[in-house]
Amino acid sequence: MHIAVLAKVVPDYEVPAGDFELSDNRAHSRYTRMMGLYDENAIETGVQLKEKYSASLTIISYGAEGDIPILRKAIAMGGEKLVLVIGQSDDASVIAANLKMAIDNLGDVDMILAGQQSADMDRGVVHSILAEMLGITFIPQVSHIESENGGWKISQITETGSRDLQFNGKGVFSITSIPENIPRIPAVRAIFAAKKKTVDKVAEIESNAMGIEEVSVEIPKMESVCEFLPVEDVGETVKTLLTKLREERYL
Amino acid sequence: MKTLIVEIIEPNRLGELVTVSKEFCDEPDIVALGAGDVPGAYDKAWQIEETVSANLVPAIAELIQKEGYEVILFSASTVGAGLAGPVAIRLSASVVSEVICIEPDLVVKRPLYGGKAVVTYKITAKPAILTIRRKYFEKTELEGTTQAEPLTITDPLVSLIAEKEEKSEGIPLEDAEVVISGGRGMGGPDNFSMLQEMADILKGAVGASRGAVDEGWAAPTLQIGQTGKIVAPGVYFAVGISGASQHLAGIANAKCVVAINKDEEANIFKRARFGIISDYKKIMPVLNSVLREER
Repeated sequence: MHIAVLAKVVPDYEVPAGDFELSDNRAHSRYTRMMGLYDENAIETGVQLKEKYSASLTIISYGAEGDIPILRKAIAMGGEKLVLVIGQSDDASVIAANLKMAIDNLGDVDMILAGQQSADMDRGVVHSILAEMLGITFIPQVSHIESENGGWKISQITETGSRDLQFNGKGVFSITSIPENIPRIPAVRAIFAAKKKTVDKVAEIESNAMGIEEVSVEIPKMESVCEFLPVEDVGETVKTLLTKLREERYL
Repeated sequence: MKTLIVEIIEPNRLGELVTVSKEFCDEPDIVALGAGDVPGAYDKAWQIEETVSANLVPAIAELIQKEGYEVILFSASTVGAGLAGPVAIRLSASVVSEVICIEPDLVVKRPLYGGKAVVTYKITAKPAILTIRRKYFEKTELEGTTQAEPLTITDPLVSLIAEKEEKSEGIPLEDAEVVISGGRGMGGPDNFSMLQEMADILKGAVGASRGAVDEGWAAPTLQIGQTGKIVAPGVYFAVGISGASQHLAGIANAKCVVAINKDEEANIFKRARFGIISDYKKIMPVLNSVLREER
């Protein structure tokens, strides 16, 4: 079995909103770059499946050559191979077409895992577009994957609970975070080994973008001014809070 | 513009999509997913019990093509996430997810960077497929029902073998006027009972940050934020929540935020109307006690 995990390097998603700045309509280049929030959950899921089913595990990314040192974390976590398609597009269709090319080049991929959504564009559509381009099944919000009766038993988180799905064949699954797929911290030896790993760098292919024009990017204003309540007397603090909430008709 | 809503039969979700549809047409058509009456008035309605998105893609894409829809609306949900991209590729359509604002001439806005920025797009190629973020559009109160024609699918690829609904007593989280949420600062699952007690007294609901869900202290269905539930209560109590931008994206439309956190530098205070810098273990029991006495 060959599993591919899609990973994207993004600007530090923990920068507080109040400190966030744009340059050229994107997060300022001074922010540290890191692996996407949910991508690490997808990598962890991939590593667990690799260990459980003796699968091979390839990490695929679309981005800049400078992302390689960050992507090596995925190798340190348990990925065996790293493929980077070098490109700069933000268009979901272009990115998906290039990921498809990388997957087609690998030839024998059975399952593709991706984080629920990237931590920069927050779209959550690239993986589903990729699935349709590959002509295989897409299942979103997946929390568990198990091999069962020659097919797959998939647990999916929904708005009201969860459900178990079963299907046979190849698929793309978007992975959500659960306590069981909190990313492992790689061992020091694995980190050093990952640094020596050869990376397959692939030039991007031309592909049609979607009919969407970006008009502007703005930082919304946060206008809330916090009134801190004194805490010397907790009983008084609580009564003051409730009084204020009622006076301002919030309660 | 000829507009189609594709959504599970749930009046609040449908009501929000009907509101959005008015930006494009007088009366939309609908594909209603699930069993039961189709609430609201639509020009044409189709219905199918299937709710597994992978099984619906071919039939919905075919219907859109046959009927010539120019705008297709899903809510930003598990089903919407499963349908929007694949249907878009089948139809060479444009897709914009998590839309929070619609302007004339197919100009739409959506968040970026966990809600720290907002991008404006102009859609230049139809059909346009939009997933609509919950709680950003007032729901239309749906009156009456519409008789629906059955929509059929062939060869479903994915079987639904079990479905588990998280039982939540009282008001659903998305509809609650008071939400009390706990984060990693709660330190463990046990003290979520304090939040539940307060929610019971105020007829509210309990939520959680991604951190608390990742720790296994709260169910994933309680997660509030960019990738969890979007809420818009009158008052939101953030207890032991640091205020990551991804969490704040889920409470952007809360009218008042009360933050209780012992870290005075916590980002949540920048979004809060009222702040209490203290250990929640000192505040919550007193708060619950006062509220109980007032009942």
